[in-house]
Amino acid sequence: MLSLLLIIPLLGIGLLNLCPQQFSRNIAAVTILSTFSISTWLLFGLDLSNPELQFTEFLPWLEILGLNYNVGVDGLSLPLIVLNGFLTLVAIYSIGENNNRPRLYHSLILFVNSGIAGALMASNLLLFFLFYELELIPFYLLIAIWGGKKKGYASTKFLIYTAISGLFVLGAFLGMTWLSESPTFDLENLTLSNLDLDTKIILLTVLLIGFGIKIPLVPLHTWLPDAYVEANCAVTVLLGGVFAKLGTYGLIRFGLQLFPEAWQSVAPVLAIIGTVSVMYGSLAAISQRDLKRMVAYSSIGHMGYILVATAAGTELSVLGAVAQMISHSLILALLFHLVGIIERKVGTRDLDVLNGLMNPVRGMPLTSSLLILAGMASAGIPGLIGFISEFMVFQGSFSRFPIPTLLCIIASGLTAVYFVILLNRTCFGRLNNDLAYYPKVILSEKIPAIALTLTIIFFGLQPSFLTRWIEPTTTQFVATMEMQTIALEAEQPFISN
Amino acid sequence: MPSIVEIAVNTEGFSTLVAAVTAAGLVETLAGDTEFTVFAPTDEAFANLPPGTVQTLVQNPPQLARILCYHVVAGKLTKDDLVKLKEVKSVEGSPITISGEDGFEVKNATVVAADIEADNGIIHVLDRVILMG
Amino acid sequence: MITTNKIPPSTHPYADVIHRLEAGGSMLPDTPENLMQIIGIYKAYAVPMDFYWRDLLYIAEQVFLEPVPFFKYFLSQEYLDRQNHYSGDEADLRIWRGTGSAHPELLEFMNKGETFKSSKLFHHLFHDRINMEFAEACMRAMLWHGRDMGMGQFDAYLDSEEYIANADRAITAYFKGNPVMLGLYKLFPEMFLEKVRELSYYSNLGLFWEVMAPVFFEMSDIYDEGGFKGVPDAMNFLVNGIFAIAGRPIYHHAYINGECFEIIPKSKGFTWLYEAALPYVEAVFYRTAPFRGTKSYNAQAKQVPDEQHDFHYGILYADVFPVGTAGIPPTLLMDDMYHFLPQYLKDYYKEHCRGEDDELIQLGITFQRSMYNVTSAVIQALRTALLYPLDDENPNHLQKNREFFEAQMDRFLRPEARLKDIQTADYR
Repeated sequence: MLSLLLIIPLLGIGLLNLCPQQFSRNIAAVTILSTFSISTWLLFGLDLSNPELQFTEFLPWLEILGLNYNVGVDGLSLPLIVLNGFLTLVAIYSIGENNNRPRLYHSLILFVNSGIAGALMASNLLLFFLFYELELIPFYLLIAIWGGKKKGYASTKFLIYTAISGLFVLGAFLGMTWLSESPTFDLENLTLSNLDLDTKIILLTVLLIGFGIKIPLVPLHTWLPDAYVEANCAVTVLLGGVFAKLGTYGLIRFGLQLFPEAWQSVAPVLAIIGTVSVMYGSLAAISQRDLKRMVAYSSIGHMGYILVATAAGTELSVLGAVAQMISHSLILALLFHLVGIIERKVGTRDLDVLNGLMNPVRGMPLTSSLLILAGMASAGIPGLIGFISEFMVFQGSFSRFPIPTLLCIIASGLTAVYFVILLNRTCFGRLNNDLAYYPKVILSEKIPAIALTLTIIFFGLQPSFLTRWIEPTTTQFVATMEMQTIALEAEQPFISN
Repeated sequence: MPSIVEIAVNTEGFSTLVAAVTAAGLVETLAGDTEFTVFAPTDEAFANLPPGTVQTLVQNPPQLARILCYHVVAGKLTKDDLVKLKEVKSVEGSPITISGEDGFEVKNATVVAADIEADNGIIHVLDRVILMG
Repeated sequence: MITTNKIPPSTHPYADVIHRLEAGGSMLPDTPENLMQIIGIYKAYAVPMDFYWRDLLYIAEQVFLEPVPFFKYFLSQEYLDRQNHYSGDEADLRIWRGTGSAHPELLEFMNKGETFKSSKLFHHLFHDRINMEFAEACMRAMLWHGRDMGMGQFDAYLDSEEYIANADRAITAYFKGNPVMLGLYKLFPEMFLEKVRELSYYSNLGLFWEVMAPVFFEMSDIYDEGGFKGVPDAMNFLVNGIFAIAGRPIYHHAYINGECFEIIPKSKGFTWLYEAALPYVEAVFYRTAPFRGTKSYNAQAKQVPDEQHDFHYGILYADVFPVGTAGIPPTLLMDDMYHFLPQYLKDYYKEHCRGEDDELIQLGITFQRSMYNVTSAVIQALRTALLYPLDDENPNHLQKNREFFEAQMDRFLRPEARLKDIQTADYR
């Protein structure tokens, strides 16, 4: 069943390349709609009482290498797979009408969708790594072909950074498997308890650098503003919405889950790095003049919350971290989708030029209203999904890291600052009479925005629909971690901080 | 000497003016003892007004009277007096500008015959109906 | 171009426009597209205007000082049937063809609305009706600027003893047997007087528009018959109209219990041109006041002029782009005209900008163009009345005309003026 999520997009690629190109978008949409439906159906079939991987499939592949096709999902990965489908749909419609290479674009998008789903369901380290690296090619092409002025620079930078990230991750995985003398790379065979703590910390650090580039964490973030800004907004939706989430997913799945006791040792450092990311992202966003760059920096800030919460490692904070992953993806997707519309219609992202888009007839009233809502969601206004996840993050992390958490709360106030700047410049004021002959926003551009908005409001009002899938798995992670830490403390009482 | 009204009635080319004065009920005033200076537009001047103008006014005597009063100034003022004054106040209330630079001009009208003496005033004949403003 | 041969060309920034005016043209360039637009919008404007003037007079004459005038927009049958004084078979003086009672398109709209056939009350509450609020906004602009403009004798008369005595009689008669209101009148006589002054302006504007509605209808008819050859023809029709009707009396009668109270009697000699048209153009086309809900102004930062005569928020300066904002007078007017657009104008809008989506703004800009043409007609009429013919032999006279035109154009030198914009077809 899970394999269908990988195969259907690939079949879709074949089909849309056989059909005339005016059908490409619809074929892609139908393909993703079907995988989205399957994943949603799986979500409702998920046994919430069982925190283990479900719907598993196993197929021996290269047994000598220990590489097996071993997939399964749990409350951590399945919501992200559903999200992956949703945001891919957004990306399909977010590209706009003037796409002159629809076949290639939609093929790459479907490829990305399949690859990310693969990485999320892989329960073999090497298989995860394969999917993780496979993503780079379509993303590189998507940035390099549909990007802005500096697309060549941005895409190459992106490729170099993320390829290095892959090397670190591979290094860590090989080390983990070989040093623990595990027969295969399968997750369930892997036990690292026989390694000593120093080795574990080294392995975890390598892993953290690898995923840290991907997330990205300050100071490994410099590829992000260029890639996010130069890429087409539709591509940025996927980059920020799901691609970067592989980093935080990897952190929880392979860091928190596999290195419970080493995690405790590095957690204070992680919390500081996370806080620095949050502060840096927010302050950098305030000083931006470019709409898209501002949103890109805000993304760095919001990813920092996830790290702080993951580092804290309490039941609520890890749940909050996963909720924040989903909430951030939805809000970021909405923001970039709307920014893309504005860029396409107005022809600029310069905050000094943009003005008065709230104008009821000649402006973009719906787009600007939703932009305001997205800004509110991002700033954590109650009733929207951003509030729920940030609240869980803060509430969960405070007991463990009070000062970093407080700093994060201050930074979430800064979010409001730069969104007020952004909204004031773009949406309010007087529409320029000489320039304001913008094309109208068409229905196929409005629908993704409305769908995202409704989701953001729905989970904001009814967060239990979001957390019920995640909670069993994260609770299990934390319980295991605490158990192992206690066991360890019994042996080596001086280790704990 | 005949009164202002008598001159107007007995001179050719003022039939519209006379009709208008009658319709506006100003005959008695202009035939009385009080002295007036009258700027009298010729029939041609009235005919030069866009169509319908006079007709609407004739239907509404108070409004017609007001326009006609703009052509009347209290007192007996000759051409020389007027040119010296440069501006006089009409019976209607609005001012009338006078210019002697380019011939004898009353507002935008040119005086075609000046200083026609009457018993109770003086008449200056205009080639155009003058209007307030 | 007779003029330019006799006197040197103008060096005014709007020299082109001035030379066009001197050649008997309009401020609006003479193109078939402009002609089609302005005539189409005149038609669309005339229908609601036929309601405006009737209701303005209804309020001034019948509703009068009703303390809770909830039903003031519910025009009585009598006022719908009321014969226009200058058009229709029963007119006092039939200057224009067309109907004497309410226009059939107006009646049809009042009956059906945008939604469906229903009671007047439903249409009123659902705001599916003619937006009288716009007409009242115009009236208020005239009332507020009246004192400052000092044009004609109407506003000065509102302060005279005679007027106060007339108003007093009407007020006492209206509230006869109502000790509460009479007591209030005793306490705050000025407030009641000011309300009556406002009602006098209702009457003033109503009488003004009573004339304009048939003029615009007839222009549309002539155009449909292929009558106008260009924008100057349309302007000259307006100039002739202004003169033809210049002497119509402006008055304010109130009917209280069937008795007519002459608050401003016809015998005051107030005329359409001096007491209504010219103040209207000044107050509504040029001045008005900033509309709430369109832009924030900071008076401390001198964003609003100190002097009332420097106000420049009329249609000739207006930023039409905020049209669509709920409840502001420009939106109300555009919405009213939107219901009655001729088909050719609808088709035209579909081809430009956002098509049907921003029709409200496109027609607003058309309206702005058409009002530049009306203003041109007023300028030419004033020139005819106060100055010299365009083909005058005397260069001094031509120079005087030139100075007049230049003085008029000086008013459009401020950056908000749309005169420059309407010179091109790209402004839409």
